[in-house]
Amino acid sequence: MDNVLPKPLPEVNLPPLKQVGRPLRRVDALGKAVGATVYAADYSMPNMLHAKVLRSPVPSARIVQLDVSKARALPGVACILTGEDVKGAKLNTDLPGQTGREARAGSDAPVLALDAVRYVGEPIALVAAETLALAEKALQLIEIEFEELPGVFSPEEALKSGAPVLFEPDNVVARYKIRKGDLEAGMAEADAIVENTFKMPFVEHAYLEPDGGVAWVDEQGVINIRVCTQVIEHFRSIARALGVPQNRIRIRGTMVGGGFGSKEDITVEIFLAFLARETGRPVKLVYTREEQFAATAKRHPFTITHRTGVKADGRITAAQITMVADSGAYPYLSPYVLLYATGMAAGPYRIDNVHVDSIAVATNQTFTSAFRGFGGPQAAVAYEQQMDGIAKALGLDPLDVRRANYITTGDSTVTGQVVRSAIWSEECATRALHALGERTPDTETKKVGRGFSNTLQSYGRITWFHDTSRAWVGIEQDGTVVIRCGVPDIGAGQSNSLCQIAAEILGVPLEQVTIYATDSAVTPLAGTSTATRQLYMSGNAVSLAATSIRERLVGRAAKELGVGEEEVDLANSRAVVTDDESRFIELTSLAKLCASEGIELSHLSQFNAPFTDGLDPETGQGDIWPDFTFGAQAVEIAVDTETGQIELLKSAACHDVGRAINPAAVQGQIAGGSHQGLGYALLEEFELENGYIKTPSLAEYLVPTVLDFPSTEVIVLESGTGVGPFGAKGIGEPALTPAAPAVANAVADALGVRIPELPFTPKRILEALGKTKAQA
Amino acid sequence: MTAQHTKQQVRLTVNGRAHDLLVEPNTVLLHTLREIGYTDVKNGCEIGECGACAVLLNGASVNSCMVLTVQANGAEIVTNAGLGTIDRPHPIQEAFADAGAVQCGFCTPGMVISTKALLDRNPDPTEAEIREALSGNLCRCTGYGQIVGAVRLAAARLRDLASIPSSSLGEEGREDDPEDRLLAPDEPSEGGVANG
Amino acid sequence: MPLPEFEFLRPKTLDEALEMLSTTPEAMPIAGGTNLIPDMRKGTYSPETVVDVSKLPELCCIRRAEGRLLIGGAVRIAELLEDPMVAEDAPILPEMARSFANVLIRNRATVGGNLVNSAPCCDSAPAFLVLDAEVELASLVGTRRLPLSEFLVGAFETARQPHELLTAVRVPILSDRSSSAFEKMGLRKISCMAKVDVAVLVESNDDGACEVARIALGAASPVALRAKEAEEALVGRPLGPEAIDTASERAASAVVPRTGSEYKRQVVRALTRRLLAAAAERGARR
Repeated sequence: MDNVLPKPLPEVNLPPLKQVGRPLRRVDALGKAVGATVYAADYSMPNMLHAKVLRSPVPSARIVQLDVSKARALPGVACILTGEDVKGAKLNTDLPGQTGREARAGSDAPVLALDAVRYVGEPIALVAAETLALAEKALQLIEIEFEELPGVFSPEEALKSGAPVLFEPDNVVARYKIRKGDLEAGMAEADAIVENTFKMPFVEHAYLEPDGGVAWVDEQGVINIRVCTQVIEHFRSIARALGVPQNRIRIRGTMVGGGFGSKEDITVEIFLAFLARETGRPVKLVYTREEQFAATAKRHPFTITHRTGVKADGRITAAQITMVADSGAYPYLSPYVLLYATGMAAGPYRIDNVHVDSIAVATNQTFTSAFRGFGGPQAAVAYEQQMDGIAKALGLDPLDVRRANYITTGDSTVTGQVVRSAIWSEECATRALHALGERTPDTETKKVGRGFSNTLQSYGRITWFHDTSRAWVGIEQDGTVVIRCGVPDIGAGQSNSLCQIAAEILGVPLEQVTIYATDSAVTPLAGTSTATRQLYMSGNAVSLAATSIRERLVGRAAKELGVGEEEVDLANSRAVVTDDESRFIELTSLAKLCASEGIELSHLSQFNAPFTDGLDPETGQGDIWPDFTFGAQAVEIAVDTETGQIELLKSAACHDVGRAINPAAVQGQIAGGSHQGLGYALLEEFELENGYIKTPSLAEYLVPTVLDFPSTEVIVLESGTGVGPFGAKGIGEPALTPAAPAVANAVADALGVRIPELPFTPKRILEALGKTKAQA
Repeated sequence: MTAQHTKQQVRLTVNGRAHDLLVEPNTVLLHTLREIGYTDVKNGCEIGECGACAVLLNGASVNSCMVLTVQANGAEIVTNAGLGTIDRPHPIQEAFADAGAVQCGFCTPGMVISTKALLDRNPDPTEAEIREALSGNLCRCTGYGQIVGAVRLAAARLRDLASIPSSSLGEEGREDDPEDRLLAPDEPSEGGVANG
Repeated sequence: MPLPEFEFLRPKTLDEALEMLSTTPEAMPIAGGTNLIPDMRKGTYSPETVVDVSKLPELCCIRRAEGRLLIGGAVRIAELLEDPMVAEDAPILPEMARSFANVLIRNRATVGGNLVNSAPCCDSAPAFLVLDAEVELASLVGTRRLPLSEFLVGAFETARQPHELLTAVRVPILSDRSSSAFEKMGLRKISCMAKVDVAVLVESNDDGACEVARIALGAASPVALRAKEAEEALVGRPLGPEAIDTASERAASAVVPRTGSEYKRQVVRALTRRLLAAAAERGARR
């Protein structure tokens, strides 16, 4: 594993591009840098009320009595809503959030608790008042009497017979199974069987921008909601909850200050909609940081067991994998997170005989939902540690064990889906390892360890959602370009990528492209900014639209210049004859010419992902995702054997991104995702004890600072084989997936024993070293 | 709470502009600034843990959520928006935009303020000094690498403007070209390029 | 939670401040506010009146007098990093300040504020304890001084009476032969509560025997303390590995509570050994 040389890449001939592939300054960067960009909480409207949410302080209780009379009587309080007032309104928490199938997983949550509360932080009542201070005072005046009920605080507890039931009939919110090949035969064939169990905790997104927004009823009676969100299509669920037609709710999304999946759920919008309607006035609601911790989604804790049959040379003959996820108090997106983990349970390896059994279980804890990777990172923490565990059991080099099992293009995953794009797992792993350089020697008190991981992570949504995206592209009469697209920009450059693609295809500088985005009433709906799908889906939609326009421009220009269409290119805001650049038409002239002849220089395109049916319920076989991104990460750590502290010495990540639309943005995604994954392994745990939160703020919940880890060295490979525009794959979620598993393997390498639970705190390290006794 | 609290008259000079305000003592500077229009100062946590609300208070970088407005009476305050605009950005802001250091942008105002405080005192900081100066600002998007690069780029550009010779080279051993608006990432990508 | 409502007073002189603290019911002084503001937000404190002492000239200065370094109560932690007198007379203070919270907090937090809070994880206390610091408490009836170890009574409890103000920390100027070291161990590199703080200060004579040995622990007990038994293991002996080992073992035993804190004891043991070795190596200060 040391002194590894990068595996040579196959020859790839990517067509040269002019703007795509360059690290241009992003269209949103300067506005943000000078503080001009307006975020959701920065908006104010005249006559605006301020809202607060009353939340449960207990994890499991019956609401005996709720008395809002004193609060209502406080001068300046405009409105109080309780569960009684919104009875019957349900929050559809599992909807794909866009067109296509509404295949309900069946998760609903009440808008406000009515008879009982199931988690600390559950919303009970809403207050809207003239000032924030008054709203907070009103909260204090609401009187509530609870009868505490027994609760369940782990999947194990929730599965016991006789346990309180949060989700009928047995607290199991979702279950899947995969049955591929012949497990018994595969195990019988094995020379050894290796079994390990791995645990992962709740994790908090901790984006810098708290959830918030402003809602008002406009002059047409349409409820407008300005909100930081990853999904503007929530207007459908909100309309349903309010009992109004879907075309009477308008979501105006803002530039989002980080989402990572938690802004995929409906957060403040539903409360704002009710209050705006009730009061007839604009209402503003912004969560506090403590509210973020208590009242928004977390990453699913998982316990994953791998039992793997292997030959002496490292080849896997059979695998039996069980997964138990903690769904928290309400299902939200648990059924899909579980599906992702299940579908990626075995990693980028060929296993002909495999059983996977997975369940998600309800508990009286903060609900779990989408978080970057969506079950993929958890699966990877298990399968990559298992691969190293197999290497150790067989006395083999961990990289050789990978080599004996990598899938290659044309092979299938555990669900039998054939992967058609490039699979450069070994190319990535060898580069990441090579980048670590010479191994740092141990000192008397510092034990150095190295570890790496190979991962796969899907991009694009589950294909049986029948995902679509739309974008409108047009050219103004002065040759500038407009894009209209519903895409929410959550900071990864979603809107910039679309601009750069249009700029490339239409031959205009990026500065000449403007995007109007994220308004459910006026921009074509582009679906969620989740599941690493925007570049793929909306990028392709923009590509289609821009190409349509290009064809018309080129056609008209060719006629004008008296040459064949194939001799005309668009570049530098001109239509030029490729072999004789002195012959050209300025785009402004061409645009006016087309306009006068009625040639439409705008186009609305829809891009459809592959449409499939669901997986076979008995075997779990079928296609799930459009494609996967393959990557690797390698880290070197030093463990202080006296204090248990871990110092990250080096980190390198290598991913095949298909094609980097903007290399600086790709670098940022990989570096940033890696950082979140490193935090997952070393620092972060959202702790609950009997349902009570022990890490309620950023003082207790430790997010990596600039001093905690060195920057991850980023190595980008481009196979050009992605299904996104220009052969791009997706990188948003894949960037995070390999980090924690690499650290886990490095820790095991340093200690000689494996700690089965994240995060690797100093206390756990010392216990593993036998320096202290584990305390119950 | 039955006590009568007396509002206090304060004068804040924000980005060069004087504001005379009547404020409750229990208001923090963060909320006052946002209320009077400086929404570039962001609220990330209100307990001094994230740095999103950082401003310069009489030249020192502080969390504005941890300053009572009444304590800032008479002070000179600089927020990120006071340093530059889209039409005339400050070199630090421009460096952030050019170096890929801005993703969601929510931490950026605070980062720029901490950078200003650093470069005002130390025009040629080492990487360790840069990281130290940013130690109170959390970022959840970038992994900090490009932000550190942005600070280095800003320092180089400011030195150029002031014609101060540089004693430190960039990490890779090459000097930052202040005219270079299109920054290559540290590692060239492979696969699309001829040699593997 | 929002901040509770309170009256705000800004005295222009120390006497005015002391007057206010004596006559105003439920008055609390504020300087940097980096403890008081989050604590008020949490509901820990709800004073009727807050008295701003952050600009009182007597509290803002660092000076030498009477063979001591006098650090005003409202001196910012950041100043401990920048002031040349502090670097010269008490180098353990900038060493401590480097790991104190983060750069933004340091620009507001004050020495006095950190000490009167007396949190178990108070970072400055162990450093001041090995300096044998005294605190100066002023009130209308006069000024009294007491050793820091007596001032820090317990977790969030000090000997300060409500009408008193911590005006200065008085640090005896060290001899040329002393050397010191400080380390904070937290779960994150910066900006977090200490899991363990260790501060040491040693001074050896011409024959190489240790004459002065001071070891202080933070976050290892309800209140920062000097590990006296550990110190006794060093005095009169050369500062060699055996003596250091014994001292480290005894420092570990000083961790409170005795049970359930194996991890802290292990860390105290390790850090004490390392810091004593480092201090021994630093040898003479000049």
